[in-house]
Amino acid sequence: MLVPYFLLIFRSLGYLSGLGVNPVETIIHETGLWSIRFLMLTLLITPIAYYSGIGSIAKLGKPVGLMAFFYVLNHFLSYAMIDQAGDIGVIVVDIIETPYLIVGWGGFLCLLGVASVSFKRLENWFNQNRSTISGLVYGATILGVWHFYWQAKVVELESLIYSIILTGLILWRLRISTNRKQ
Amino acid sequence: MLESIDESDKMHLLVMKINETKIKIPSSEITSESAYLNRRKLIQSVGLFSLGLGLAESTFGQNQEIRLLKSMRNENYSTKETPNSFPDITTYNNFYEFGMQKSDPYMNSEMFEPKPWSVEVSGEANLTGTFDLEDLIDFNKLEERIYRLRCVEAWSMVIPWVGIPLFSILKKFEPFSSAKYISFETVYRPNEMPGQKRRILSWPYKEGLTIQEAMHPLALMAVGIYGKELLNQNGAPMRLVIPWKYGFKSIKSINKIHFQERQPRTSWNISAPKEYGFYANVNPLVDHPRWSQSRERRIGTGFFGAKQPTMPFNGYAEEVADLYSGLDLRKYY
Repeated sequence: MLVPYFLLIFRSLGYLSGLGVNPVETIIHETGLWSIRFLMLTLLITPIAYYSGIGSIAKLGKPVGLMAFFYVLNHFLSYAMIDQAGDIGVIVVDIIETPYLIVGWGGFLCLLGVASVSFKRLENWFNQNRSTISGLVYGATILGVWHFYWQAKVVELESLIYSIILTGLILWRLRISTNRKQ
Repeated sequence: MLESIDESDKMHLLVMKINETKIKIPSSEITSESAYLNRRKLIQSVGLFSLGLGLAESTFGQNQEIRLLKSMRNENYSTKETPNSFPDITTYNNFYEFGMQKSDPYMNSEMFEPKPWSVEVSGEANLTGTFDLEDLIDFNKLEERIYRLRCVEAWSMVIPWVGIPLFSILKKFEPFSSAKYISFETVYRPNEMPGQKRRILSWPYKEGLTIQEAMHPLALMAVGIYGKELLNQNGAPMRLVIPWKYGFKSIKSINKIHFQERQPRTSWNISAPKEYGFYANVNPLVDHPRWSQSRERRIGTGFFGAKQPTMPFNGYAEEVADLYSGLDLRKYY
């Protein structure tokens, strides 16, 4: 799961053709893309475990989700520290002025909440509040895909694909939970 | 119809095959030979290591015959800022006809055949018809102009263009007084331009200018960069360069010019009218609805290069602000 990350590090050291003409943009786009991909994967784990009958797959949810958070953290830090040179005043103004950044920031906060309860101390709470956790992951993914879709000048194929999968996942989830209540 | 220049007239234009790796690249006016060769080495090594990472093997990606162009530097209209490198300018492009990634035009444009080239001129002008590229561009009068280019995506470059002032082409057609606007079209060739197979924009790409803007001496019809003919990814064989407007106004690979009385619809305006206006003048005070236009990232400043403030009319306010006196630039963005 860290392969894309190490590839990015190698590239920033000048190997593997480097980061290209606009290295800052490459770092931000790559970490962002992998954030979305891992978030999508996190959400796909439950239905895969459900339909394959191999319940132990569900245990992968936590490490994959944490990996998504790791990429989101890198994504945000590379935006804040490199693109905006760490100037907090500038960052705040930039986020307020840029609607897709507000959405992305919201997604980041959702994941921050999830990641914080992953620590041992909070594990009991985590076990008692599974639906809150999964709701936050869904929230983060929806906001993440929205952020991805919204920053492009025209609709990009990849964001379209994720939107469709995400819609399917939400519908599946809703159906499961209504079935349970009945 | 204008007379085509004789084949022998082109003899001064050296012809070379750019895809022969051993070729000696002659120096251009502003790049020393060694600096240029180094750049070439750099991009060759990029090609070698890029398999599987999405960059093409060949630096220029095409078997074009790239001629060198003779030109005189126009100092009055050239910035003193350092131009971006040839690899920067030729591998980082927005040219959706070849794909939406910045490296797509460089990777996917080898199929495109810019020679021979003809342009259809129509509308409110005395002289209309189909003209060869050589009829439109006087290759003995080329100028080099180093312009800033500001993309609507908030990045910028400095590019040494080779071309001739747009007005010198347009006046040949003797436009009528009813010609208030000029529209331009990019060639539509989905077999050579893979991006045109998906309707991400209204193809063929359309752009337009008011006649005053088109006749402004800063408006350039470019045929080259760094003393060489335009590569396919940069809009071969001829493209507009309107340095005080966002880059998407500088339409590439033009094959239609139309003089008209009404303001033309333009591709980006059709795609998202609230985001991309007809004028699209560079303006740090009028943000794009989804992002700020107050600052820009200058390509080539590296990893820790800070963003710089964007200038009104991209720094050409002194020359062009008069064109818009009395116009509400917030309304007419």
